[in-house]
Amino acid sequence: MGNKKINQLADGITEELTEELFEFAEFDEEEAQRAGYSNYSYWRSTWQVFIQNRVALFCLILVSLLVVFTIIQPYLPNQKLPTKIYIDEKTNMQLRNHPPDSEFWFGTNSIGQDLWSRIWSGTRTSLFIGLVVAIWEAVAGIAIGSLWGYVRVLDRPITEIYNVLDNIPVTIVLILMTYILRPSLSTIIMAMCITGWLGMARFVRNLIVIIRDREYNLASRCLGTPTRRIITRNLLPYLVSVIMLRMALAIPAAIGYEVFLTYIGLGLPVSIPSLGNLINEGRALMMVPSLRYQLIFPAVVLSVITISFYVMGNAFADAADPRNHV
Amino acid sequence: MKRVLALALALIMVLAGCAGGSQKTEETSGELEQEYRTLYSGEVTTLNYLKTATTNEFALAANFVDTLIDYDKYGVIQPCLATEWNVSDDGLVWTLKLREGVKWVTHEGQEYAEVVAQDFVDAMMYILDSKNESSTANIVYSVIKNAEKFYNQEITDFTQVGVKALDKYTLEYTLEKPTPYFLSMLNYVCFFPVNGQFLNEMGERFGTDNTSLLYNGAYILETFEPQTRRILVANESYWDKENIHIKKISQTYNKEATTLAPELLLRGEIDYADISSSLIDEWMKDPVKKDMIRPNRTGFYSYFYAFNFDPKFSEEYEPDNWRIAVNNLNFRKSMFHALDRKAAMLTAEPYDPEKRISNTITPKNFVDLDGTDYTQLGSLAKFANTDSFDPKLALEYKGKALEELQGKAKFPIKVLMPYNTSVVDWANRVQVVEQQMENLLGTDYIDIIIEPKPPTGFLAEVRRAGNYAFLECNWGPDYADPETYTDPFYPGGTYNWPELAEGYKEANGKNKYTNMVDAAKAEVIDIANRYTLFAEAEAFFIDQAFVIPYAVGGGGYSASRLNPFESQYSPFGVSAERYKGQKIMEKPMNSEEFTAELQKWEKERAEALKAAK
Amino acid sequence: MLRYSLKRLAQSMVTLFIIITVVFLLLRLMPEEGYFGQAYEKLDEAQREAILTSMGLRDPIHIQLLKFYKSILSGDLGTSMIYRPKVPIAEILRAKIPYSLYFGLTAVLISLVAGVSLGIIMAKSKSKIWDKLGTGYIVFINAVPAAVYYLFIQLYVTDILKLPILFKPDNPSSWILPAISMSLGGTASYAMWMRRYMVDELNKDYVRLAKAKGLKSKAIMVRHVFRNAFVPMAQYLPSTLLYTISGSIYIESLYSIPGMGGLLVDVIQRQDNTVVQALVLIYSSIGIIGLFLGDILMALFDPRINLQKKGGAR
Repeated sequence: MGNKKINQLADGITEELTEELFEFAEFDEEEAQRAGYSNYSYWRSTWQVFIQNRVALFCLILVSLLVVFTIIQPYLPNQKLPTKIYIDEKTNMQLRNHPPDSEFWFGTNSIGQDLWSRIWSGTRTSLFIGLVVAIWEAVAGIAIGSLWGYVRVLDRPITEIYNVLDNIPVTIVLILMTYILRPSLSTIIMAMCITGWLGMARFVRNLIVIIRDREYNLASRCLGTPTRRIITRNLLPYLVSVIMLRMALAIPAAIGYEVFLTYIGLGLPVSIPSLGNLINEGRALMMVPSLRYQLIFPAVVLSVITISFYVMGNAFADAADPRNHV
Repeated sequence: MKRVLALALALIMVLAGCAGGSQKTEETSGELEQEYRTLYSGEVTTLNYLKTATTNEFALAANFVDTLIDYDKYGVIQPCLATEWNVSDDGLVWTLKLREGVKWVTHEGQEYAEVVAQDFVDAMMYILDSKNESSTANIVYSVIKNAEKFYNQEITDFTQVGVKALDKYTLEYTLEKPTPYFLSMLNYVCFFPVNGQFLNEMGERFGTDNTSLLYNGAYILETFEPQTRRILVANESYWDKENIHIKKISQTYNKEATTLAPELLLRGEIDYADISSSLIDEWMKDPVKKDMIRPNRTGFYSYFYAFNFDPKFSEEYEPDNWRIAVNNLNFRKSMFHALDRKAAMLTAEPYDPEKRISNTITPKNFVDLDGTDYTQLGSLAKFANTDSFDPKLALEYKGKALEELQGKAKFPIKVLMPYNTSVVDWANRVQVVEQQMENLLGTDYIDIIIEPKPPTGFLAEVRRAGNYAFLECNWGPDYADPETYTDPFYPGGTYNWPELAEGYKEANGKNKYTNMVDAAKAEVIDIANRYTLFAEAEAFFIDQAFVIPYAVGGGGYSASRLNPFESQYSPFGVSAERYKGQKIMEKPMNSEEFTAELQKWEKERAEALKAAK
Repeated sequence: MLRYSLKRLAQSMVTLFIIITVVFLLLRLMPEEGYFGQAYEKLDEAQREAILTSMGLRDPIHIQLLKFYKSILSGDLGTSMIYRPKVPIAEILRAKIPYSLYFGLTAVLISLVAGVSLGIIMAKSKSKIWDKLGTGYIVFINAVPAAVYYLFIQLYVTDILKLPILFKPDNPSSWILPAISMSLGGTASYAMWMRRYMVDELNKDYVRLAKAKGLKSKAIMVRHVFRNAFVPMAQYLPSTLLYTISGSIYIESLYSIPGMGGLLVDVIQRQDNTVVQALVLIYSSIGIIGLFLGDILMALFDPRINLQKKGGAR
């Protein structure tokens, strides 16, 4: 117990105490100028702290590689088409459920399509959905959320708009949209965007409500700072870490939501591969050991994406706190 | 809140108990003899058999309420609530004598009343009242005299409708026109009886749960907890008690039944599981599991690929070009012979795909003429016995079509093929069909475009709207007569409008096929002639490639402790859904036993049908 | 506060009115085929008309709306049209809600207790073994789709522990797995956010001051850090608790629990308008009340928050 206390006390004084520290410093003009000038940049420091976290850096590289790979994969030599059905020469029928080998790296599915190319094509689709939805969520969510939280006149109307939009079942909207348009990538993205920003807006709004009446904001207001400046300079920087974590999770969440939509039958058609329908197809095979690869491969890709974003989000959130900057 | 806390506490205690290793063993204690346990994923919406037309709903009712006639396991008509019947010489008036002493009982098994002729009249009155939203009313008014007028409120006097209780045990139906297959219709829900007094008492509540229903059939619905379970117990006062071997049927609801049922079956908790096509490979490889599964019998839903003669899809898919192409016989025939139905079927039936492939629109074993199957009559036999897939012929016809359509149509011809995204098999199948046909015929000849469509309003938006070029369609029979399979293609149908096909007009302004069907329909006395005429019409229809016959429904594999050959057999009606006469086996039947039993059954059936004549 | 509450709730009535009207009108855009289900194919035109008329769908839209308002004002949810025809909706819901409530609340309690404690432990031992273990758990839960790990638990854990696969009301050992499975996701998310807020909070100057003052670490954690860190989570608490009546679609389908899970999706897909409207009415009331209570709770936890007009921000 005693040791701990001392450690805690020492916490504040992190540097080791050496003799040097107790010597007189001589006046040096150059040094003095350097101390007066700061080349501190918030985002650069954040970045520097971020890359010091080696796991996070690894994840960043991994995700970047993944994105690059999904984009260039179709142009690599010897790649198969994700929708082409392969025929077994012996039976002259589809090459069904062919286990992974040197020809089909991830095997084939139940109608003889190459899973390797389907997974990359699916990852491309899902990442695209996730990215678009997450960016929209971030932009609309933060903008509306901060106005909702900070500007009192807007509190009531936005609360009511939120209530209306949040309580109209997404399923109805989705069914009507696929009915009027047709099940496709843009339909699903649009449907997810319509309601996707609500959660983010409420999240930001809550955080802002908590800090909006703090003294420094009151002071700012008394000095006549415009609302926009208070939001962008006083409020949002304070929330960068949590917002970053939430945004990092938005991409995997969007992909996860697509899996859910597929589960209730409103996802993308099977002819457009996505991680959602690949996992949903694979789920039925969980009890079939020899075919389980059809579930494992897409699930692993999804996990890699989710884990990377989670780790990056947390590392970035840590890095975003200026107190952690050296 | 207290209850929640209590539950939480209970949970924690049970958890602790489990960790301590004190497990319950009550599950394994003595199993009831002749109890049949299943898992189901589709909950019924109502038990009101006078309203529903959905198989899983009337499947329950079939076990609660008996019909006038019944079928045995070979498909021969047997007396049930009616003991004898006769028809007037003009074929219009049917008189049936009812079995005496059959009782209506409540869900507790208490006697309520006797089943009398008036019960059938009351049921019909209910069905024909349009306010009651009956889905089967159209089947009644397609045959019964004045029924349609009553339904449309053109007449209000029910006594004019062709159903009468002559006395307590005598029932009389008067028909609109002679209908040779009328007797088979009596096996359907719209000819079920209902106790009028009880119906009035219940009002709108009739058939909403097990207490608002009366039973005169083999089973009583003892417990009805929607989306949890239902328990059927044998009716102690049933008139034919000796033939009820399964005493209790417990059905448990689970939305994920397709995934969980095989596992539960292996653990011995249920007696029936469908083995889906994704699981079948694994089960076939494992010798223990392989011994538990057998094929299912095929059904009477007919699947076919239809060419649309009235294309109304959007301009980008070139409907006019399609119209030109589809009216060319050689183009249709090239497609007809190019479709590899086995490759397509592999998406639904990876093992033994042939058993479901059908070469005719009317499935095999649907009706027979003195023991000869309908599909073997006249020129239909030729089509029934040959596979339509023939790459050589397909290319030959392609050559002819190219020649004839040169300069008239634009190649490649765009073939719009939509599918319903909620049917996974179908989504796979369209991809297989697209690639298979394009590979064979060449992408310079046809360009198949697959279009995902949502399940919402699928039929109305796609097929009925003519919003397709080439589509997989299906049709189920409404009565036991080949006429039922001509309905989709007869003018007024909403399938592919073959009456608009060019080059088939006859003197009376109708298409040849329509005239052939009319001729067959007019023949109501000589059944042999009637069937032959229908067979000829169907042969003509297939020969001219208006559609490509593809498959029959049903099939798949299952693990089951019931013997499928003990169950009542009927292509139409409710008999096939009854548990009557079935016994629970020691272990599930395997494929070899199934094949042996099937052969035995087919032989016995042929004899039974001959004997019945 | 009271005046604020009353005013806000009164306003919510208008919102509620808008929501149910919008949903009502959206439902009328659904294709007519959907009202017949599988039976559609075999019906003729006269029958379809008769059925639609009898369902009241052939009345002019404003008459339908008026009827709907009237029945709601009289406190009558009406009867189901398709899901279970002619059965009063209240009766259907009465049978289902308790199941979802019991499982939902148990799961929320478990995940709240487990998640918040895990989050605190993780934040306290940042970058040490507990933090890593906890992160591992959070990452796993987030990475594997719920649909997959639920099924995995159901099929394998029941086999190992010899628990029943399906829920049976009279067998308490069949309640364990569904409740625990349901709480896994919540636990992970509470732990994740708790840790995040705590870590952010621990970095703040007042904590240093408190440490410098010589306050006990435990006191700092409980009295200051936890209280501050919990405020943003408090806002969601009432909604989460109230929404438990909507059930869990995955868990309830897998374990055969006859609760509310998936009911809304199901009735929308089957186009049972009356049930959809009733559910939307219930869920939106809950949503609105949840948001409101959340604000109140937040203000209670943190007296610096001012919900009323005067003072503070614009």
